[in-house]
Amino acid sequence: MGRDEMRRGAENGGERGIEMGKSLDIMEPLNQLPGQGRGYQELNQPGMFAAMIVKGHNSCWQRLRGSVSFLRSGSSHVGRSGGLALRHARCLSNGHSGMKTLRIAGSKGWHLQSTSIITDCNQKINHWGSNQSYCFYTNEMGLIIETLAIPSSQINGTDPNYPLASLQVNPQLTICKASSQPMREKPHFQIQGRLLMAHNLPGLSSLPLVHISLGCPTFLPHRLFSQSASDRSSRSPQISLWSKFMVTCFFGSAVMGLWYYVYLEKKQQEKVKRQEQLKKLALGQGDFNLLDHTGKSRTKKDFFGKWVLLYFGFTHCPDICPDELDKMSSVVQILDKDRAPTPVQPIFITVDPERDGVEEMAKYIKDFHSRMIGLTGTPEQIKDLGKAFRVYYSAGPKDEDNDYIVDHTIIIYLLNPDGLLTDYYNRSKNDQEIAESIRSHMKNYVDLFS
Amino acid sequence: MAANNSAREQGMLWKREDPGGKMSAPTADERKACWGARDRYWQCLDESDKDSSECQKLRTIFEGSCPQQWIKYFDKRRDYLKYKEKLQSGGFQQQEKVTKP
Repeated sequence: MGRDEMRRGAENGGERGIEMGKSLDIMEPLNQLPGQGRGYQELNQPGMFAAMIVKGHNSCWQRLRGSVSFLRSGSSHVGRSGGLALRHARCLSNGHSGMKTLRIAGSKGWHLQSTSIITDCNQKINHWGSNQSYCFYTNEMGLIIETLAIPSSQINGTDPNYPLASLQVNPQLTICKASSQPMREKPHFQIQGRLLMAHNLPGLSSLPLVHISLGCPTFLPHRLFSQSASDRSSRSPQISLWSKFMVTCFFGSAVMGLWYYVYLEKKQQEKVKRQEQLKKLALGQGDFNLLDHTGKSRTKKDFFGKWVLLYFGFTHCPDICPDELDKMSSVVQILDKDRAPTPVQPIFITVDPERDGVEEMAKYIKDFHSRMIGLTGTPEQIKDLGKAFRVYYSAGPKDEDNDYIVDHTIIIYLLNPDGLLTDYYNRSKNDQEIAESIRSHMKNYVDLFS
Repeated sequence: MAANNSAREQGMLWKREDPGGKMSAPTADERKACWGARDRYWQCLDESDKDSSECQKLRTIFEGSCPQQWIKYFDKRRDYLKYKEKLQSGGFQQQEKVTKP
């Protein structure tokens, strides 16, 4: 049988993990040499599943002897050897219909000498009593349909001093012993042309030690559980953990990439929608004629060809206007570093024209960016401008000093070089975000007109 | 009011009148001084309660550093911030206790 057949057979067999019974006591007979073991007395000892029901199997089954000993990690039986011997292995090629092979898996937590089982048992091999094992056969519904006692007497000796060695006991048998290292390799047992594989199952260190799953059929008469077996694992039909990991990463990053792309698309759409809405509103139409802080008269035309940042506030403002004007200055500074062809023009317009005349404006804005212009005017002019930009402002009650606070919307407006309102920013946007947004508007604008 | 009067009588920084009798706005330095006093006062309130003498002292300094309107504004702001905190941490059963946001 070629390797491919074996592999295919292994894959078809599926992997039904089978847990072994609980950790067993060390089997004394395992240390004994052939012939020194007990007789078949164990067979006669009653146990819960002592019935030897062997139905419908090849008579070879009855000759199946074997026992298993498991060493739980950390068990006190550390250092004891375990060994399993199977005899008449070629008999195992017959027997079960369907499930024919066994894969042996070892727990990663195994760091003791442990054994592997080679049986044709399709379910648990439980150890009841000392030195005896039972194999349970279950049907599809998981019901135990028969059991097979595996007396240990037929176990031949093992050599505890050989790490990951196998001991040829007889031509039909392989005794396998895991090394003190966790089993990383996937040793294969090639038996009668089929593969019997073992693989590690992580996280099973607390569980019974040997995990049997069903796979390809049969055993070869003998097989060395050795390095060469491990080499074969690379050609095993099993996918290594590494490739699984890589595939997962690949799919994960593909999904993430897709998500990110969709996210960017959505952002772009939001931006476009916002601009459409602003254009529809057409805020800031109409001209204005105000005095700047130097007393010069300014109209909207004076600012055509420049990007303008507008802020409405008043000089008696406790904390918000200074914060926002600082933010605006910082934005302008950031954009200045970009060395754009048209520098951004920050403008501060007062909503408190009664108090904020030209001088007050001049005094106020000198604490901010050098290019900042302050605009003021008559209350009517300011009112018209406020209406055009839909700026809410309302002077509070005056106190005994005639001091009052003007409640107003806290928004920075962006006008493009044509004087159209392009965007607005509220308190939640920091200077970096605003600068970034202006950059993208500038880019779009240039693209439109280039 | 009495406390405010005394602060003003002490000739505090911010009280400046233009020839026209208008109150002129605080300069940048005055603003910073006012904010600093406010922050210290609020810190004291956070650490202890309102009635400690330490906080009272800071309150006086605070009132001396800022225009009266600002003090009213900052007091209202602190109430709002505390209310928001209560809402965010305490859940909605607090609502009836608070007077206004």
